[in-house]
Amino acid sequence: MAKTDEAGDARKPLISIRNVSLSYGNFKALTDVSVDFYEGELVGLVGDNGAGKTTLIRIISGINPPTSGEVYFDGERITKFHPKKAMDLGLECIQQTIGICDNLSVGRNYFLGREPVKRVFGLPFLDKKKIRETSAKVVHDFGLRDTVDVDDEIALLSGGEKQTFKIARAVTFRNRVIIMDEPTNHLSVRERAHVNELAVQLKQQGLLVIYITHDIFQIHRIADRIVIMENGRLVTDVLRDAMSAEALEGIIRDGGRAPAKGPKVE
Amino acid sequence: MNVSIRDAVRRHPEGITISLVILISLAFAVITGGGWLSIGNLQSISQVTAILAIIAFGEALVIATGEIDISVGSVSGIGALTFLGLAPMVGSGLALGAAIACGILIGALNGLFVALLGLPSLLVTLGTLFLFQGIGYAVTSGFSFAATDSLRQEFIYNVVGGGNLAGINTSVVWTLVVLVVLQLIVFETPIGNRILAVGGDAASSFSRGLSVTRIKFGVFIVSGMLAAFAGVLDAAFIGYADGSFGATMELSAIAAAVLGGCHLTGGRISLIGTLFGAFMLRGIQSFLILLAVQPQWYILVVGLIVVLASIADRALTRFALKK
Repeated sequence: MAKTDEAGDARKPLISIRNVSLSYGNFKALTDVSVDFYEGELVGLVGDNGAGKTTLIRIISGINPPTSGEVYFDGERITKFHPKKAMDLGLECIQQTIGICDNLSVGRNYFLGREPVKRVFGLPFLDKKKIRETSAKVVHDFGLRDTVDVDDEIALLSGGEKQTFKIARAVTFRNRVIIMDEPTNHLSVRERAHVNELAVQLKQQGLLVIYITHDIFQIHRIADRIVIMENGRLVTDVLRDAMSAEALEGIIRDGGRAPAKGPKVE
Repeated sequence: MNVSIRDAVRRHPEGITISLVILISLAFAVITGGGWLSIGNLQSISQVTAILAIIAFGEALVIATGEIDISVGSVSGIGALTFLGLAPMVGSGLALGAAIACGILIGALNGLFVALLGLPSLLVTLGTLFLFQGIGYAVTSGFSFAATDSLRQEFIYNVVGGGNLAGINTSVVWTLVVLVVLQLIVFETPIGNRILAVGGDAASSFSRGLSVTRIKFGVFIVSGMLAAFAGVLDAAFIGYADGSFGATMELSAIAAAVLGGCHLTGGRISLIGTLFGAFMLRGIQSFLILLAVQPQWYILVVGLIVVLASIADRALTRFALKK
């Protein structure tokens, strides 16, 4: 699947990060990060706590603008950073702690921000039938209990069910990029395998999947490429086959000080 | 069985208030020997309920986003003073427009500080509460504005609370109109869905592409507008207004919303419940008046009810959301 090792690869990156830095006051969360992501690729973004993985993702998904540097999507430079803009470009981020509103029903969460409407006297009213039917089909296709009623508040779902819901939502809208931020935390073994299978399927459908995790062994089994971050810097960017999971783990354990061997991408 | 009660409580948080209102009404009617239920008394309760409810609806919208607006009492005062101060000179129509414009401006001011600058709404609206109460006193400087006889003849003056429709004060009709419109907006449109989402989880809403800033700004404007409008309705009914007009109204409005099943943490509100909450407060006030209890005791009773309601509400929510 991965073809990024070919020298002089003509493929255009879908997302290109050029010399991006981000500071919160005096704290440098990201320092001069440059990396490319391609369509049809499953990239594992790995690193310890505070390595800058989530900060990088917050920039890509439009939550924070970078302090300096450039971000390109499909060749176009991004100047306005807002989650709405990222969603409109077809980028969906599945985050650990946010993404659903506990007080709303499953169906309303599913369509939050892009509610289907039917016009009554020209006024936009929620198309509740569509909300109910579409969301019910999707969540049940993704293996949620039959007893889950999409009119129920989503707070009634378990942690794993909420995660599955987020993935289902990310997948069924026509997206080009799916970012998964620690998607298997707090999940049972079976749920975890299910989520990883979904990640591979998405990639096979031609999507770019960026998969953030602590677990190098887990991601090494499914990713095409591994990107390791440490202290706000990108320290390693290698094809999966170029390095063993053990070697990669060594890099993370040594705080990224080990020289990154293996072919650099581009 | 257990599950269905839970579902009912979760989906209709206002059910408890409505049942309570019916019980209390019956009790009041019996205790006062029917006096509380007399046509005259119900007319009076319906007018004061209408004014309180309109302010409380705006409050409920702000509460829905997880914020609070305690300036609404002063805003209704400014609305009343603007209306009665200008109406004799420019007519009811223009004066109404000016009063509502004032409400929108004050709401925008609150929204600016809360939504755009991220300041706590409690502090910001406490500031505007005092600010506009002070302006009210300054403008009237100890005197009051009163409606002239010719003003009372104006059609618009009668439409906005000064007159009756089939024996019912026109403000009651306005309350029902506002209720229906807001009920549709909050529960049947994308905007309503987003208002509730922001109150439920602002960070998640933002990550779904919602403009949290714009939504919060918007609810403060609506709250200011409705408070000013309620001030106009009440001023037209009473026929005069002084600097203390609308004072402590914000407390009753918040109490009505909380009694009606609105959660101060945001994301869960009931407008129908808020209407019943307002009716309950005003019904109790009227009951105390009929019993010739000193009006000061009303505040004490409201305080007790609100404390009890918050305790009951928390217990019920825990029960309803238990897995």
